[in-house]
Amino acid sequence: MRPVTDAHIEVRAVAKQWLTRDHPVPALEAVSLDVAPQEFLTVLGPSGCGKSTLLSIIGGLASPDTGEVRIAGRAVTGPDPRQMAMVFQDPGLFPWRTALENVEFGLELQGVSASSRRERARALLEPVGLRGFENRYPRELSGGMKQRVAIARALALDAPILLMDEPFGALDEQTRLLMGEWLLGIWARTRKTVVFVTHSLQEAILLSQRIVVMTARPGRIKASFEVALATPRDLDAPAAATLRHALWDAIRDESRRALDGDR
Amino acid sequence: MDRGRRVSPGRRRLLQAVSIGVLVAAWELAARAGWVDPLFVPAPSAVAGAFRVIGPEAAGVLGETLGKTLVAYALAVALGVGAGLLIGGVRYLHDVLNPFLVALYAMPKILILPWILLAFGLAATPAVVYGVLQGFFPICLLVAGGVRDIDRTPLLVARSMGATSWQLYCKVVLPAVLPAVLAGMRLGIVFCLLGVLVVEMFGGIRGMGFLLVSLANAFRAPELFAATALVSVLSVGVVLGLERLNRRLGHWR
Amino acid sequence: MRRIVLARIAVLAGLLGGWELWASRRDPLLYVPPSRVWPALGRVLGLDAYPTLVTHFGVTALEVIVAYVLAVGLGLALGFALGLPRHVGEIYEPILSALYAIPSVVWYPSLMLFFGLGPASKIAFGVLLGFFPVVLAVLAGIRSVDPHLLTVARGFGAGPGTCFVKVVLPAITATLLAGLRAGLALCVVGVLVGEILGARRGLGYLINYAYGLFRTADYVALALLALVLVLVIDGAAAWAEGRARRWTEGAA
Repeated sequence: MRPVTDAHIEVRAVAKQWLTRDHPVPALEAVSLDVAPQEFLTVLGPSGCGKSTLLSIIGGLASPDTGEVRIAGRAVTGPDPRQMAMVFQDPGLFPWRTALENVEFGLELQGVSASSRRERARALLEPVGLRGFENRYPRELSGGMKQRVAIARALALDAPILLMDEPFGALDEQTRLLMGEWLLGIWARTRKTVVFVTHSLQEAILLSQRIVVMTARPGRIKASFEVALATPRDLDAPAAATLRHALWDAIRDESRRALDGDR
Repeated sequence: MDRGRRVSPGRRRLLQAVSIGVLVAAWELAARAGWVDPLFVPAPSAVAGAFRVIGPEAAGVLGETLGKTLVAYALAVALGVGAGLLIGGVRYLHDVLNPFLVALYAMPKILILPWILLAFGLAATPAVVYGVLQGFFPICLLVAGGVRDIDRTPLLVARSMGATSWQLYCKVVLPAVLPAVLAGMRLGIVFCLLGVLVVEMFGGIRGMGFLLVSLANAFRAPELFAATALVSVLSVGVVLGLERLNRRLGHWR
Repeated sequence: MRRIVLARIAVLAGLLGGWELWASRRDPLLYVPPSRVWPALGRVLGLDAYPTLVTHFGVTALEVIVAYVLAVGLGLALGFALGLPRHVGEIYEPILSALYAIPSVVWYPSLMLFFGLGPASKIAFGVLLGFFPVVLAVLAGIRSVDPHLLTVARGFGAGPGTCFVKVVLPAITATLLAGLRAGLALCVVGVLVGEILGARRGLGYLINYAYGLFRTADYVALALLALVLVLVIDGAAAWAEGRARRWTEGAA
């Protein structure tokens, strides 16, 4: 596997507003952020705070109005599958492709030979726990399985950075917890840089090395928390509880502002 | 596909009007420059002039055609909605008869046309009969489909509240089926008109169909285009009107 | 299930029986019971009644094929031209739908004027009828593509061309196939109508010819033949659509 030492993300004073029919809606306001190589960073914030927008900008799917994003020193101008792979809340599997064919998608776009990509895709479905499901179609898979295929598809790119936008948001709680554990296993093995967006404090504490809290719209970085807890994370440990209180303090007002703002 | 913001209706109509305007202007130019043979493709200005020539006659003849169409339509709607409700509502009937209906719908009715003229002569009757034949099937199939697609839950709720069969029918089934009925009626009018026109064309029976064919045979292109435009505008108008009615009646959706 | 099939057979038998009883007591020039259609069919198929049957059938078949190829080509071209660029479809699709509200036969006299009574007018009419379902299917298909799939593809670095080939095309296949099948059915109807309304050759012309000579049994036999052919063609199209759907599975 490729060394991941150049996965350093720099976000510099990024601002963005979305143009709707009536008036422009400011999404982000002067957001600056650094992500170290191989770091698991969680972006935590109330709904509508712009965290998905931020992730889209980092991933090159949207461009900032001001400011810029650099990956390993080079500015981001568009999606770069060699550097970054993205996973969304909606798995977005192509319904006309089998699980295996879905995982092959990124490799197909890069011109990898058929036999080679088939082999690599098959190998990726194994750690995802989907061996035997290669030839199933998305409509035959459960929500959790679909998301695992989506993650395998992203991993197939073998890119040093993984951007995840509330990937477990649509799953039930038990599945979410299991998927979180499983994701940590993958991260430990592959040592990628992960930027994980969520609104769940629990998920943030369970998974990340560092948590960044965003304000309500227009989003800014409000605070940053190092998570120096032992793994596997125990949510009932006193250190975890302290962190949880700190996070909630930071985010409570923002959540309320977001709730009121939605009226 | 992500369409982003939609074009505003005012802007849309403007662009549509401008596009049509450009098309007509280009056509006029082509006709004047002699790029198209005026015998076959008359200039829009010639067509406009022809309205005065053929207008009264076309309007009168159109009236006759419309008369037959309306009679055919009334019959087609009555028969079609009735049959549709029956076939959609009674499971057994649907299972047994559906393949026949689909096959009959797929059959080009034009094949029966010569026989209808033989049987009913060369007056208004065959036109009405054929119009009914054309209009009946789409209405019946749409209504039957609508009945079958009814959401069962409101029915259960009403039954649990003690509704009688009659109340069930009037207060739950009919309102639920109304969109399908209206859709069928919208389609039906076009088919009925089509049927009547075809009979007039084929059988040489007095009406718009016959006028169009006569004008074509006489190579009177401007008048032919004018008459065609007249029927087209009328047809579009009727369908759009029915659509507006449909939206008004189904506004709760 | 068996009860239903038996019921269907009963209905069919009842219809045929009723037809036989009703028609055999009446004017034989007008009413042709199945018992007379059968030998007429034999005469027609045996090429006794119409030795040039095959030629006429060939003419009709050729007209249908040419009309269909043109209808599909035009339909796809217009469909993608209107559906892919932003907003273009929004502006022009209402015009298309309005045109669809006009009974198609209204155009036939103009086509007759322009193309004469030969195969060209029949082909043109077939194209006119057959291209609408194709265009409308393309537009409907494109409208129903899940935009998130395009976002995912873009995230993988797919450009607009790749997005079209690898996302849009597979996504619209099912709808498109239904439209192609409907288009074929309408092409056949258009060609037949054109032939019956006035032609010099073709299956429709033969039907017209038999009717004109009051050879009613022959006319019924020919009409039945045409009906069977239409059903066979649509059946084949349905089979092809089913096969293609299963091949692009999961898009249901």
